[in-house]
Amino acid sequence: MQHTFASKEGPLEVTLARNGEAFLLEGHELTPHSRGRMHVRMRDGRTCLVHAAKVGDIWWIHLQGRTYRWERIEPGSSSAEDEGGLVAPMPGKVLEVLVKEGDAVEAGTPLMVLEAMKMEHRIVASSDGTVLSVHFNEGDQVAQGAVLLELE
Amino acid sequence: MAVCAPNDVGTMFTEMADEVVVLQGESIGETYLNQEQILQAASATGATAIHPGFGFLSERADFARAVKKAGLVWIGPSAQAIEKMGDKMTARQTMRAAGVPVIPGEEVEEQDESAALEALREASTRVGYPLLLKASSGGGGKGMRAVHDPADFDQAARGARREAVAAFGDGRIYIERLLSGSKHIEIQILADAQGRTIHLGERECSVQRRHQKVFEEAPGPTMTVELREAMGQAAVAAAQAVDYVGAGTVEFLLAPSGEFFFLEMNTRIQVEHPVTEYVTGVDIVREQLRIANGEAMSCGPLMIRGHAIEVRLYAEDAANGFLPSIGPLSVFRPPEGPGIRLDTGVREGDEVTPNYDPMLAKLIVWAPSRPEALQKMRRALDEFVVLGTITNIEFLRDLCDAPPVVDGSTTTTTIDDLWPNGWNPPAAPMLEEASLLAAASAETLGLHRRSTTVGSDNGKGPVSPFATIQRRFP
Repeated sequence: MQHTFASKEGPLEVTLARNGEAFLLEGHELTPHSRGRMHVRMRDGRTCLVHAAKVGDIWWIHLQGRTYRWERIEPGSSSAEDEGGLVAPMPGKVLEVLVKEGDAVEAGTPLMVLEAMKMEHRIVASSDGTVLSVHFNEGDQVAQGAVLLELE
Repeated sequence: MAVCAPNDVGTMFTEMADEVVVLQGESIGETYLNQEQILQAASATGATAIHPGFGFLSERADFARAVKKAGLVWIGPSAQAIEKMGDKMTARQTMRAAGVPVIPGEEVEEQDESAALEALREASTRVGYPLLLKASSGGGGKGMRAVHDPADFDQAARGARREAVAAFGDGRIYIERLLSGSKHIEIQILADAQGRTIHLGERECSVQRRHQKVFEEAPGPTMTVELREAMGQAAVAAAQAVDYVGAGTVEFLLAPSGEFFFLEMNTRIQVEHPVTEYVTGVDIVREQLRIANGEAMSCGPLMIRGHAIEVRLYAEDAANGFLPSIGPLSVFRPPEGPGIRLDTGVREGDEVTPNYDPMLAKLIVWAPSRPEALQKMRRALDEFVVLGTITNIEFLRDLCDAPPVVDGSTTTTTIDDLWPNGWNPPAAPMLEEASLLAAASAETLGLHRRSTTVGSDNGKGPVSPFATIQRRFP
């Protein structure tokens, strides 16, 4: 009953303990009911109903008005994260390319302007660096997740 | 009867309609903005009237004219009224003439890009900073830019023009003084062909993000009987100045000084009309139909009762710069209860696509008092479960606890003031741990492989605690 989930701090290993039907983690206790219902009793004594749905590799969990997403990492696979790559957050059209290869940029520098859903979105540098490559030109259509530029 | 684009076949509104005509074409221009095809659909199905809804052709005078010319009833104001109000620069001039106060600013009629930019630059020095650039054909924040520093003016003006040309095919821009610390207050009006023009009180829609409203309420939390009367009279005068017939909204900015200024008039039903319906008891769409049919409106004297709040549910990632999100609505479970209304365009199992606006639904609550309405909204948002697509529910919920929202002192910059560096959900480590436990347990139990839920397919679908009960009602 060990699972690995992706988190901002890197892969997170979760080892569940069992108590009869219940699952335990850090003092929280989850009771599965018949037909897929779940309740969690948290360490502080609060109890709440949980809604869960898996889409792709991601578990979407709703409880107490909050929704969390946990991406499960299959045992043996490595999480491929494109360091320095800036990806299109939405499918859309490239309106403007504001930098070229070799440009030095600071965190926050606008790099590209995309149009999606009839609004303009700016792609900005997340950190200081140098533009290694620009993959699209003005007017190009880009798919969601496409790497637009690479920074070093 | 409804019309839909090919990529909207099977969506909720098409299933609610008795008959659907699928418009041919790929782009919005070929489908929802294609007047000829829509008129053909009306004639093919025997429709006798057209309601344009909000967006698309709802504020297009040429369409209103074409509908009438085709011998159909247009459920909206006259083409002339739409024209006078739809061109924001003409509207400002008409309002000045009618004695309705407008925001200090200048209109620039130049069409040519470089000449227009030059004229705008000159006008900007007279209007003063901070200022707003607005598209004359604009609306919904498109073609609009706030400029605080003259150094940013050129880039902003070019961006506003480009967005205006793309969205409306008209790049004319005007400049308004940016009145910071103001409230956005709008007055709902109704006018029938018998000559009666009334107002249904105000809505406050100050809480906006990039000029898109997200939180709307009626009555305004700081409104007084005297100010409502004054603004109501100004709105009625604005409508009468263009011989308005139908439902419409006159938008004002209410400055901290207590002065109010005409912003624009929306010559259609508005997204936030339910809050007015809740507090006045008037079904505005019903009145639109009556008025379009030549009947007198049915509402009596204005009576405002209790408090209503609406929030707009968007498929967007509030914690990531409010980027639009897409995905399946694997679970979509709205709250229920007395005083809760949901106007939704989606239901469980639908896919959120990048084709159209990311607004999914509107959640509206009513309660006898503002604090109770706010508390009901908090509860409703907590109970609203959407899994599979990122929504702004948690942002809206957090908004309900923000001091300016709680005390009613919201202004048009409230969101930027509250979260100048972007919004992030409040930390809740206990809930986060519990959610991790739930994810790991669900994986262990193989809940995703038990395809027992409505809308699930091959075990990849959602797990719902309710849909699996399979209750049968005799």
